[in-house]
Amino acid sequence: MAEIILNHIKKVYPNIEGKKKKGEPEKKSNLLVTEEGVLAVQDFNLHIKDKEFIVLVGPSGCGKSTTLRMVAGLEGISGGDLMIDGKKVNDVEPKDRDIAMVFQNYALYPHMTVRGNMEYPLKLQKMAPEEMRQRVEEAAEILGITQYLERKPKALSGGQRQRVAIGRAIVRNPKVLLMDEPLSNLDAKLRNQMRAEIIKLRQKIDATFIYVTHDQTEAMTLGDRIVIMKDGVVMQIGTPQEVFDHPANTFVAGFIGMPQMNIFDAELLEKNGTYSVKLADLEIELSPEKQQRLKANEVKAQSITLGIRPEHITLAKKAEKSLKGTIEVSEMMGSAIHLHATAYGKDTIMIIQTMNLTEEEKNSISIGKEIHFAFSGNMIHVFGKDGANLEA
Amino acid sequence: MSKVTLNQGAVGGKLANRVINILLVLGCLTIAFPLYMTVIIAFKKPSEMTNDVAGALGFPQAWSFDNFAEAMRVTDFWHSLANSFLLTGATVVLCIILHSMAGYLIGRKMAKRKAFKAFYYYLVSGMFVPFAVLMMPLVKQTAQLGIANRFGVILLYVVFFMPMNVLLYSGYLTNIPTALDEASCVDGAGVWQTFWNIIFPNMKPMHATVAVLTAMSTWNDVMTPLVIMSGTDQNTLPLAQLNFQTQFGTNYNLAFASYLLALLPILIFYIVCQKQIINGVVNGAVK
Repeated sequence: MAEIILNHIKKVYPNIEGKKKKGEPEKKSNLLVTEEGVLAVQDFNLHIKDKEFIVLVGPSGCGKSTTLRMVAGLEGISGGDLMIDGKKVNDVEPKDRDIAMVFQNYALYPHMTVRGNMEYPLKLQKMAPEEMRQRVEEAAEILGITQYLERKPKALSGGQRQRVAIGRAIVRNPKVLLMDEPLSNLDAKLRNQMRAEIIKLRQKIDATFIYVTHDQTEAMTLGDRIVIMKDGVVMQIGTPQEVFDHPANTFVAGFIGMPQMNIFDAELLEKNGTYSVKLADLEIELSPEKQQRLKANEVKAQSITLGIRPEHITLAKKAEKSLKGTIEVSEMMGSAIHLHATAYGKDTIMIIQTMNLTEEEKNSISIGKEIHFAFSGNMIHVFGKDGANLEA
Repeated sequence: MSKVTLNQGAVGGKLANRVINILLVLGCLTIAFPLYMTVIIAFKKPSEMTNDVAGALGFPQAWSFDNFAEAMRVTDFWHSLANSFLLTGATVVLCIILHSMAGYLIGRKMAKRKAFKAFYYYLVSGMFVPFAVLMMPLVKQTAQLGIANRFGVILLYVVFFMPMNVLLYSGYLTNIPTALDEASCVDGAGVWQTFWNIIFPNMKPMHATVAVLTAMSTWNDVMTPLVIMSGTDQNTLPLAQLNFQTQFGTNYNLAFASYLLALLPILIFYIVCQKQIINGVVNGAVK
């Protein structure tokens, strides 16, 4: 049982502006700077249920690792309450929190064998040698590293080392398992493999997971809920489907989804209580569901930012109501073609499934040619000029 | 074009190599020659020490160990050797334990806490204080504290080697990622356990370097035991060598035999630890 509550958690690094030497370039950081110092994490609120898998995701420097390290106790908490199982643990030492952590660079003890590494946390608990041996072997069995138990970490490959690091974390059945970008040092193939292993592992052990990554694929595939952060601020918390279908703002819209969402400047029109969007000459009526949401929020007609995912764009005939653009790049991916086109001053990406294309259409797709495309009203995301989702 | 330049480079390289080789040979000679003389003289009888070149540089008429036996008797060799071992051993063990702890704390906290940075500079600045400046006050103080004995000398050594060793340890610490400390901390260890279980074993190459540097300086030191322990009848080996310099001259044959005897243990120690020292120095240099 481990329920974690982060209540208005804040992390402030003391201000170092005064010490800055002359001529030193300004740090390009959008973090909020107050009189106290630099706000690395501001007002983080999250209620993590028992055995939930939470993924913190965001670009580098967004405060996701800092948040994780605060939960681990490796970083002090500047404000707010951190509760594990109803107990406030702000000032509790890491060793007394009953958490385990997997580090990005594995952090295996180089002078110990794999067995030594995995036994270490148990030894510190003064466990009986027989039980210790049994636990280590069980964990090694789960991770498939039994044959490496007597080796030193330097004799292992990256993937094996990461397994050992995970083994060291799970061997003592912690309440909470923290993972700080555990797969980012692995190559692409191994990363996919390990991702699947983590999903399997999760079913085998009873722990609450908090996982930090900058890779949105990992976030989408692993998390029960995803927390998207930017510049120390939580942008959105939701299930993978929620954040994909209803991004709270243009940042989330652009961050989740691959290739990223297309953004256009458009107008939101309201005629007799019916909303539609106008992009260039094309006017598209929104789906009833979206109409309702906008109505509920009492949204007025205004200039908006329109978002449409590449996979929701379809090619259109010239005669139909459509938008037009010029093809810049065409990437053949096998089952689909990724088209990069310039339309209305924006780089637009669209994914065209090849099986729906006629031979004639396939031939017509070439660099420099004009294409016509369209999308339906239920796939449009409507954001205000400040970036916030108007439907939310 | 590029081929020509390459060739020129190679010729230049060869010349530079030759010059360096010659310099190295010269350097080698300056060390090897006195060493040769020491060995030769140590085996000669005093009557063979004539003033001509052959007398100085020639081989002895008979390779006899008489000089060594006599030197051992004069210097009370086994007693002095035991003393030297005690002083050196205790100093090395204490230095490794205490200085690695200090180096760990200072090295890890220096970046974030100003007080540790200041303490680091304070310690390291100790390297620039010559012993001669402190000698007289120390003699007085150790006498007053009643530690003008082997314990006092060990204590002084531990203090005097601290700047250098803390510098070495805290520098080497950058090779040990802080993630190891953090991992150990999350695994359930306190600072003390983290140090002994994780950091101390991983500083092994630096322990060897520190051990050798400390051991050599301690073993060869004359000054500290001379001024602190004089009159206690607890000679160390280098101190015992002073026996040969009497008011009326020096018995070189006995003296050199004795020097060789004093040199032997530390030489063996160096050869055993050689690999570790070089590792330690290189490790320190790269990062």
